[in-house]
Amino acid sequence: MGKASFVIRRSLQLVATFWAVGTVLFFLFRLMPGNPTSFVISPQMTPEARQRIIESYGLDEPMHVQYVKFLENVLTLDFGQSFHSNAPVQEVIMTYLPNTLVLMLTAFVIAYFFGITLGVLSGWYRGSRFERSTVITALLARSVPSFWVGLMVLWVFGATFNVIPMAGMTSPGVEHTSFIGMITSIDFVTHLAAPALVLAYYFMGYPLLIMRSSMLEVLSEDFIDVCRAKGLSERTIMFKHAARNALLPIVTAAAIALGYAVGGSVLIETVFAWPGIGREMVRAVLRRDFPVAQGTFMVLAATIILLNFVADLAYGYLDPRVTYD
Amino acid sequence: MSLLEVEDLEVYYETEEGPAQAVDGVSFTLEEGENLGIVGESGCGKTTLAKSIIGILPDAGYVNNGEIRFQGDDLTQMTDRQRRRLKWEEISMIAQSAMNSLDPVYTIREQIVEAIETHRPGTGRVESTEIVTEMFELVGLDPDRADDYPHQFSGGMRQRAMIAMSLALEPSLILADEPTTALDVIMQDQILKRISQIQDEIRSSMLVITHDVSVVAETCDRVLVMYAGKVAEEGPVEEIFNKPYHPYTIGLKRAFPNIRQPDQDLLSIEGYPPELIDPPTGCRFAERCPMATDRCREEEPEAHQMNELRTYCHYAEDIDTELRPYADSAETWSETEAAQKAQQAGGD
Amino acid sequence: MAQEESTRSSVFADVEEVSSSDEINKWARTARLWRETLKEHWSLLTDELSVRLSMLMVAFFVLVAIFAPFLAPNPPLERQYQTEDQILIEKWAEPSIVGGDSGYLLGTTAEGFDIFSQLIFGTRAALLVGIIAAVFTAGIGTMVGLVAGYYGGTVDDALMRLVDFLYGMPLLPTVIILVALLGPSLWNIILAVIILQWRATARVIRSQALSLRERPFVKAAQVAGASDWHIISRHLAPNVLPMSFLYGSFAIAWAILTEAGVSFIGLGDPNTVSWGTMLQASRAYSALSFGAWWWFVPPGICIGLLVISGFLIGRGYEEITNPKLQ
Repeated sequence: MGKASFVIRRSLQLVATFWAVGTVLFFLFRLMPGNPTSFVISPQMTPEARQRIIESYGLDEPMHVQYVKFLENVLTLDFGQSFHSNAPVQEVIMTYLPNTLVLMLTAFVIAYFFGITLGVLSGWYRGSRFERSTVITALLARSVPSFWVGLMVLWVFGATFNVIPMAGMTSPGVEHTSFIGMITSIDFVTHLAAPALVLAYYFMGYPLLIMRSSMLEVLSEDFIDVCRAKGLSERTIMFKHAARNALLPIVTAAAIALGYAVGGSVLIETVFAWPGIGREMVRAVLRRDFPVAQGTFMVLAATIILLNFVADLAYGYLDPRVTYD
Repeated sequence: MSLLEVEDLEVYYETEEGPAQAVDGVSFTLEEGENLGIVGESGCGKTTLAKSIIGILPDAGYVNNGEIRFQGDDLTQMTDRQRRRLKWEEISMIAQSAMNSLDPVYTIREQIVEAIETHRPGTGRVESTEIVTEMFELVGLDPDRADDYPHQFSGGMRQRAMIAMSLALEPSLILADEPTTALDVIMQDQILKRISQIQDEIRSSMLVITHDVSVVAETCDRVLVMYAGKVAEEGPVEEIFNKPYHPYTIGLKRAFPNIRQPDQDLLSIEGYPPELIDPPTGCRFAERCPMATDRCREEEPEAHQMNELRTYCHYAEDIDTELRPYADSAETWSETEAAQKAQQAGGD
Repeated sequence: MAQEESTRSSVFADVEEVSSSDEINKWARTARLWRETLKEHWSLLTDELSVRLSMLMVAFFVLVAIFAPFLAPNPPLERQYQTEDQILIEKWAEPSIVGGDSGYLLGTTAEGFDIFSQLIFGTRAALLVGIIAAVFTAGIGTMVGLVAGYYGGTVDDALMRLVDFLYGMPLLPTVIILVALLGPSLWNIILAVIILQWRATARVIRSQALSLRERPFVKAAQVAGASDWHIISRHLAPNVLPMSFLYGSFAIAWAILTEAGVSFIGLGDPNTVSWGTMLQASRAYSALSFGAWWWFVPPGICIGLLVISGFLIGRGYEEITNPKLQ
């Protein structure tokens, strides 16, 4: 099978998955016990507003008509209005998504830089004390809940020593005119540091362990012996040959992991009161603001589905051996 | 001065149960332009021997004792840096597996040029392209395909590429570790012919490590037979094949089909080589040898000079005079201690 | 482990009628085979120090969970009072292990609950979630993987599209939505975790089954006219068992972490004490600002210890089943 048909087939699969997630969400919210309209209509609305919403969602119509309507709305990225603020859900998403992306990408870059480097080194120096301690550190990073580590950091550095802000993304009273202006300000960076580092520590375990076992596998290959026989320096063998080969599985893993990282932004954003999309979803769920919950959830799922797709495609470009069959 | 002199070499591996004596007191010399074959079953220490000469022993392996003198200098006493300078420039290798001995993510050209640039910094692009072209032609590959990745080559082509790379710096010694094992018979033959041809051109010496006696017969001047980390017998190739004195060599020879005597029954040497951690005293082959006596099990054999052969067997002279027909019969070999053990195990 | 085995064989016995003594002998053989495989793996596993320590740790938590009512000095959700007449609530009491004179080992919460007792009862919730979720995750995943891998074709396609779909769902947000819709209870959290988590096991077991079904012994059984069920249960299942256990032990860890996360957000079971709900309460009452570390430090340590034990056992098992990693 050729590359083109692989891309086409994979794209169709992508669309199908989007459709499936949307469909499941639709039925989940409507088939739950209780009055189905309560999930889309806020009890505090005026009768006129209520009627308008019921019509726009077609809630007085049979289920299959509603379903088609829902799909239409999703296609035009119309997730309805927030019960809480009455703002369109689309606007809520656009407000919070960039904040999540900044936090996640920062943490991710730090985590993968250190994770990969430590993974390469611990694979290279196998059996050493260094290897054992990095592996234990990586396992700890994945075992101790990240939100608890966040709590500890806030307790020690925030509440006790008062060197980091306790919550939020900017200090109260500080106003920024543009998004770029905000994320380049020192105030923002001091707010970003703690959650980003805690997240980076949590993310780091995965690339580290994958990289290590991938290194171990590569180092047992014959071509490493040939490289040593060629008289290459240790550093050249370690990075240019061993690590370069070991890197292949991690690229796919990274795209997928980034998807889940965005999906898992919920806890760390909650702990640090970071105004991101994950925390917004939690707040929406807790205050039963279903349009927002549904919309934000769709965005989180979409990130994962898209990045899985990217990972599949990227693999072909990185490994000259990949064939599409 | 010989090109390579190995003297009383001991290479051990660190294991949890103690050191494994993979190479134990091996000595030989290799003259310039000469080809030496090292033959033995897998696990007899031949690959370890090669790795210790080229300097790529794994972390757990170390030279316990002995000297490896290359052009008079002891390699075991050199610093890593000195050693690295000699690698590939003077001693290169053709690795065991054609499939995995090239890095899959770089083109063949990149890998050959890497070797050139490591040892001859300042070599221009034009010059290294010339070398690659020349080497590809030498091994019978199309130079236009130098920019292919290893996976785009067939097994035979990959092994040729490997040979091209090992020749790139015109080393004085090439270690070929099972150079043709992964290839089919016809390809084996082609590659072996090509290797001998090239050698005549560039006058390098070669150490051929193999378990396949026919490879040795085709490429080597002299043969060293190893058993369980020790030398069993050593000498010119014709003598080893025509008139060996060590029972192991006799058995090994009779385990492969012989063109001159196609009707002869093939024999199998029953049993396995001994553990190399805490090996048995005496001759290491005793358990599998049909002629073994109590003396063999207690006393380590000395070298006996038999014509041009160096034979490590207490009874080398008796084989010469009266035991040869006995050692050459397949029946004899089914009566060894190990063969009986195997029979018992099979009978259960 | 022996428990596991006997329940499995009884599942088989229900489906196939064990009538002749021949059949019973076959059973004895299969059972012995499984027992020996397990024993061998067990002894390899316990060779590793970190695995031994982890097993001791898990055993310790299991004992604590079983004997929780005897170990805990107070009911976990009973308000403690300073005096007999129940007027003054004993809140924010400092732990007596660091010199507090309250008489409460780990102090009390803002609501006057005994933290040490909560911690002990929290072990029950964690293990309950972990073990039930792991058994079902590994069980469903293995069954689906075997069926998909063995039958291939349309069955495989359909099941794998389902797995792909589940892989498109973000774990924690999905669990949160499900729990929010189903209602906050420990059982709903377990259910939500199972719904999402079997995907990983299914994928791995399927790829194992794909290669197993091409092996001679399976071909031979097919030619001999063995039923599909027979082949799956007797020939494939024992071979993928190590992988199922591996994913099972990882699933314990993930389930505990997920429960903690969901509870921390505020969707925990209000009638049960778990380490996650303890952390949630400590946050709701701003224990951070009060510096009441004895409230939020111990639950996190317990989660970490139990989860890392699960990971270490899983990893140890992975290393013996995949020699390349050694």
